[in-house]
Amino acid sequence: MTALGVRQRKPRPLLGSHAFLLVLTVALLAPVVWAILSSFKPAGEIIRNPLGFDPATFTLANFRGMFQDVPIGSGFLNTGIVLVAKGAITMLCAPLAAYAFAKYRFAGRNLIFGTVLLTLMLPTIVLVIPLLLEMKELGWVNTYQALILPGSVDAFAIFWMRQVIAAVPDELLDAARVDGCGEFGIFWRVVVPAIRPGLAGLGVLTIMNIYNDFVWPVVAASSSRMATLQVVLSTLAQNISGNRVDADYATVTGELLAAASIALVPLLILFIVLQKHFINGILAGSVKG
Amino acid sequence: MTTRSVSPATKVFREPAVEPRTRAPRQRRRTLPLRRLLAPYVFVLPFVLVFLAFSVYPLFFTLRLSFTDWHGSGAAHWIGFDNYRYLLTSSGFWSTLGNSGVLWLLIVPAQMVLAVLVAVLLNAIKRLRGFYRVAFVVPFVTPLVAVAQIWIVLFDQDNGAVNAMLGAVGLPPVGWLVTSGWAKPTLALLFLWKTTGFVVLIVLSGLQQIDRGLYEAASLDGAGRMRQLWSITVPLLRRSLMFSLVLQTLAVFQMFAEPYVVTKGGPYTSTTTAGLYLYNHITRADLGTGAANSFLLVIVVMAVSLLFVRLLRAED
Repeated sequence: MTALGVRQRKPRPLLGSHAFLLVLTVALLAPVVWAILSSFKPAGEIIRNPLGFDPATFTLANFRGMFQDVPIGSGFLNTGIVLVAKGAITMLCAPLAAYAFAKYRFAGRNLIFGTVLLTLMLPTIVLVIPLLLEMKELGWVNTYQALILPGSVDAFAIFWMRQVIAAVPDELLDAARVDGCGEFGIFWRVVVPAIRPGLAGLGVLTIMNIYNDFVWPVVAASSSRMATLQVVLSTLAQNISGNRVDADYATVTGELLAAASIALVPLLILFIVLQKHFINGILAGSVKG
Repeated sequence: MTTRSVSPATKVFREPAVEPRTRAPRQRRRTLPLRRLLAPYVFVLPFVLVFLAFSVYPLFFTLRLSFTDWHGSGAAHWIGFDNYRYLLTSSGFWSTLGNSGVLWLLIVPAQMVLAVLVAVLLNAIKRLRGFYRVAFVVPFVTPLVAVAQIWIVLFDQDNGAVNAMLGAVGLPPVGWLVTSGWAKPTLALLFLWKTTGFVVLIVLSGLQQIDRGLYEAASLDGAGRMRQLWSITVPLLRRSLMFSLVLQTLAVFQMFAEPYVVTKGGPYTSTTTAGLYLYNHITRADLGTGAANSFLLVIVVMAVSLLFVRLLRAED
């Protein structure tokens, strides 16, 4: 066997693997690192010397300008309110419904779940027109209800949780029944503890989706008072791409990067703290073979 | 584990051996399943209520709207298939669908190959594995609008960092976002950067379910690394690949925020995706046409998704 050289060649491909992965890692991290570093540079320097970074010129001017120009504080507040309320609804409704879909047979199950799969295939924007009209009908335009309720139990959350719960052995549920556990008790005391990684995954995915949501808030919360963080950010971007020969081009660029940095930091921190749960959660929720 | 296919409800009736023959069971059997029969309805109720109000109702509303000429106020006139006919014969619809198609070609095949490659490598190495996994998920957790803004600044023709790097090695600047030829690849790069990490995780979870013994058996039979990848890994990853393929196809055809923020659909209409075109109908209060456009898009996306499902199933 050793004569074939298989064993000797082994270290080489591994070295190649690391080189390949390292190059990719640098490419993936570079834009984020660059944006955060650049946001601390004087606005003119970002344009004149986009690649270099001189610690001596460190400044918070971009952040100060950004706080003056756009209501980023209220953007954070609105996003926070929506995040808590919508996240709570998703985390309560989705696992419970998914449990029913995964472990019970009942009339209408296939019909309801089929509709769920259908809406999973629909482009999100398809529902924007009728939802907006519905909000007008209800008098909810530019309200928190409008930002919170639609999409609070989306098809993806149900689909995802059903995958996770289907992996819980039926024997476990039956054993709890023999012990006299009620149907909800089984969900709460047997299923929930068994699917903790999947729940954590859903939690982080939900937080991310709500935090990053853009299409619906742009339409439903057009007033600046209700604008979420992402909507506030996009108005900054409109200034720059809509008006290329802006006299304040450098200033807007600096503020743009400051805004982008401030928006990505909370989720980055959350992810780094919860990375193990997040990755295990995704691994738990993905398709089973 | 072998009785998995038997549902819990029927199992109770099929296992008389568990309950010895006494007089009582008949009654208990009745009361127990009743609670169990009602439970799922209680569990799905909150979801169904929200789902009916904010997903199913709007869905049927859109369907009806697509057969009218409604512009958001006044009376709606039933015009049959006119909106569909208009769209199917308009160059705008086809060219934006074409734009999305080109973006799909630029993104999805590369993404699948890259994701399988990275996942296989991540699965094989031990050192730095956690570090790479984190790095690959960082783009996925950054807000899209923030990434889009970074892209605007990075790929600026005159002052961007990318052109500065090209200049450093003596290459001429490229009009990344302002020329029709480059705008699509630049957007595709944004999408690839943003979402490949997620696909890597899905593929990785598929890989972890493959029996290691298969590889040992194969290498005893003299199969090389590439042969193992092609004959064991890829076929057994079929479900994960199908899942990601459908998910990413949906995402590409729905792509809206990226072109909306970065290019506004330009230059000319080179980055007006199917999703953005739909949005343009809404902003012009051309609601009937927008609704019809939605359903045409759904049909296209479903057809493409089903095609993948078929293709990957056919190999069974």
